[in-house]
Amino acid sequence: MSKIWAKGLTIVALGIVIGLCLSTASVQADGYQNDELTIAFLPRSLGNPIFLDAFEAAQKKAYELGVRLEWVAPFDFDSDLQVEMIENLIRRKVDGIVASVNDEEQIHRVFQKAMDQGIPVATFDADSPGSGRLFYIGINNYNAGVEIGRALVDVIKNKQLEDQVLNTMIMTGYREAVNLEERIRGFLDATSHEIKLHVADVLENEDTVEKSIILLEDYLKTNPEVDVIYFVGGWPFYVTSDALPNFRQWAQEGGIAVGIDLFYDALLLQKEGLIQYLIGQDMTSMGSLGLELMVNYIRYGEVPPKVVETGLEHANESNLDRLLETHKPWLVK
Amino acid sequence: MRRFERFWSKLAKKAEIHTIRTKLILSFLVIALLPLGIMAVFAYQTYYGSLTRSVTEYSHEVVNRMARDLDDYFSDLEVLLTRDQDFYMDQLIKLVDGNDFNNRKYVFRIWEDLNNLHRVKPGLEEISLVFSNGNRLSNYGLYTLDFPSFRTQFQLNRQERGIAILGPHRNFMDRTVVTMVKPYTLATAGNAVFMTADVNLNRLATITDVRLGTSGYVFVADELGRVIYHPSDEEIGTISRFFRDDIPYGFVDGFGDHESERFFFATAHSPVTGWTVVSVAYADEIGAQIAPIQRITLVVIALILVGVVLLAVYLSHALSRPIKDLQDLTKRAANHELTVHIEPQGNDEIAMLGHSFNKMIRRIQELMDENVREQKLLRKLEMESLDNQIKPHFIYNTLDLIIGQLESNQNEQASCLIEALGSFFRLSLSKGREVVPIASEVEHVRNYLFIQQMRHGEEYQYELDIDQDILDKYIPRLLLQPLVENAIYHGILQAERKGRIFISGYQRASDGTIVFEISDDGAGIEPDALRDINEVLRGVRSLQNDKEYFGLRNVNKRAQLMFGEEYGVVLESELGQGTKAILSIKPIEEDPNV
Repeated sequence: MSKIWAKGLTIVALGIVIGLCLSTASVQADGYQNDELTIAFLPRSLGNPIFLDAFEAAQKKAYELGVRLEWVAPFDFDSDLQVEMIENLIRRKVDGIVASVNDEEQIHRVFQKAMDQGIPVATFDADSPGSGRLFYIGINNYNAGVEIGRALVDVIKNKQLEDQVLNTMIMTGYREAVNLEERIRGFLDATSHEIKLHVADVLENEDTVEKSIILLEDYLKTNPEVDVIYFVGGWPFYVTSDALPNFRQWAQEGGIAVGIDLFYDALLLQKEGLIQYLIGQDMTSMGSLGLELMVNYIRYGEVPPKVVETGLEHANESNLDRLLETHKPWLVK
Repeated sequence: MRRFERFWSKLAKKAEIHTIRTKLILSFLVIALLPLGIMAVFAYQTYYGSLTRSVTEYSHEVVNRMARDLDDYFSDLEVLLTRDQDFYMDQLIKLVDGNDFNNRKYVFRIWEDLNNLHRVKPGLEEISLVFSNGNRLSNYGLYTLDFPSFRTQFQLNRQERGIAILGPHRNFMDRTVVTMVKPYTLATAGNAVFMTADVNLNRLATITDVRLGTSGYVFVADELGRVIYHPSDEEIGTISRFFRDDIPYGFVDGFGDHESERFFFATAHSPVTGWTVVSVAYADEIGAQIAPIQRITLVVIALILVGVVLLAVYLSHALSRPIKDLQDLTKRAANHELTVHIEPQGNDEIAMLGHSFNKMIRRIQELMDENVREQKLLRKLEMESLDNQIKPHFIYNTLDLIIGQLESNQNEQASCLIEALGSFFRLSLSKGREVVPIASEVEHVRNYLFIQQMRHGEEYQYELDIDQDILDKYIPRLLLQPLVENAIYHGILQAERKGRIFISGYQRASDGTIVFEISDDGAGIEPDALRDINEVLRGVRSLQNDKEYFGLRNVNKRAQLMFGEEYGVVLESELGQGTKAILSIKPIEEDPNV
């Protein structure tokens, strides 16, 4: 009996020693512990505050799930640097990657590399459908475009301007971003047969708040006659109207502005009457649910649907006050 | 050694080093090249010393500047990492401590702040806030690191003023960086929080980007010799092969040897980082920098050498040409061409030598002419002397005497006389030799006296007393016989009474002169006549009549031609008592006919 006990103790001791050795080796190799998953999220850029909802939600969910969250991106929109970061995440052997894709073509190779090494890859906000990613979580960008287009049609018709040719400026981040292009496509499809928009210019703000503000103000200074502005994203809405004097003047003189992305500062501008309609996306779900789906897939093999829609939120005169109460001020600017 | 001497001798002969011209060229070359060589060596040494000093000073200046740049750069970084009471960071730390994730506005502001620093500070790869839970909030976002390992590294490398510089290592973006770490102090923070700044090694490369020669380089190492930065990536993180733990900062400053190679090291310490900047230059490359100067020096020396050679050739030619001409003329003169004449140019020593040469040639020509004249005169005198002996009446009388003796059956006497006559003529001719042994000449005189005694009866007696020691010496032929003839005919026969002739010969002890005295006790000579004869013999007075005193003058002249003016014939006489003819000649020891 004592021999059996001795053998048993020896085996247990060896097991502990081996386990400690493996654990230590793992820590020394990459700093991660074996029992804790590391999921990396890559927004399009750190400098775009729209992702902060997702960031906060992902942190909370990571804490709940007991996983480590990495949130890495170039501060400014940079497709090459995003690809390089994914390469380094692969090198660091993270357990899963969820990215908002900057350049779909560039991303395919590195996504494939990750998947070849057993790292599941998903997308949020901006999809890369042809990349073989596990799932996409976000809005249907085309539908979002259609929805904001329809909202604009209503605004125009209410103003009885449907017979006029309206000079239109579209502000987007990058023309290479699939999600933004889908929003433009849906917008144009929804408006083409209803009102007479003449898209005079499409401005690219490189997905940065600062540049979007400069571009907008400069554009309106030189093109005050433009009738409609469609903001494909909410980049310039992170500041108060005092920081957008030309835009304020232009809106107060009858300019019509609609946009996608809904957050507290944008709602304030809408409250001032500078923006006629906003459609928002649920960034919180993208961060929270996106992380959960990825963890469940890794831990339990639960395969999520290829596309997980997070839904759209509309802001108009009827619900503006309520939305201002439910959305928190960010005060990032 | 002998072989070398033989080789050198052959070489010198082939190269005609023995000629004055070659010697002059070599002399000029040596004279010109010796100072030139000394100057070149001195210039080389001076330049090499100067170059070494320049390289030393330059290298130290470079590494000192690099160390200063490193200090400046990392001091700036330290300033960037020094955050006192940063509201956003303080708030974020509190939220992190409380696991509160409503942190967007702080995180976003901090990202903005870090990104701005990343933009404005060249070489700053990443700047971050590290939390004790392993989260690292940087301009790249938020990710995790091995905090225990990070803290251990910090503690191991912590400097006195609280900062630490870690690395080199690969950062989040897989770039090689060194990381400056500074604790972030927050009174309310329960756990340690650090500010970090990753500096890309390319920045160190920029600071230390100096080429030292072809292969020289600069590297940076910490106090343990670990290479922080090196142009060769393989060296980074290793212990430098030049590191020594027995000297301050671990690296030699100055020349040093390593693995049979010689290097020049210049080191500078960076107090802020604790690193040492080391420049490594290969000593032979430093020497190689002098190569252009060497080449220029060699070219200049070669040009000077060519100039010197040409000048030396010209000068040696100019100097040796008159000597060569003189040599050629001397050769021609030696080959009996005494008509040669040199035309001296200038008034230097060689021109003087030319004048002397011409003078010498003229003198030789004169001497030779004189010699020829003397030889001719000598021949003439000999012939005259010979003719004088072979007088017909002497022969007829002697032959008549022999006939008379034969007719009177005095055969024996006749035989003796014939023998004496034959011997007389044989010795007179002496096979045409100018000089004969004194013994032969004495024998000739003896034959003559015998014949004359036969001819003139017993009217006189004669006696010869010749020192045996002089018999084997030599004397011009037919010198004694005319004096004996004079003694017989002008001494004994003139006295008309019986007489005596005494001939002696000896060598004077005082000066070695051979002296013959032919004395008779005959008529003698009157004092005036005697004085007159001796004056003629001394050449004081000349004669109108060549026949006068012919025999005496012939002997005297021949003796003087052969031996000089101090030799010849002198007469002593007393009237009625007799006469003594004294012939002095220079002794001839060897047979000149051989």
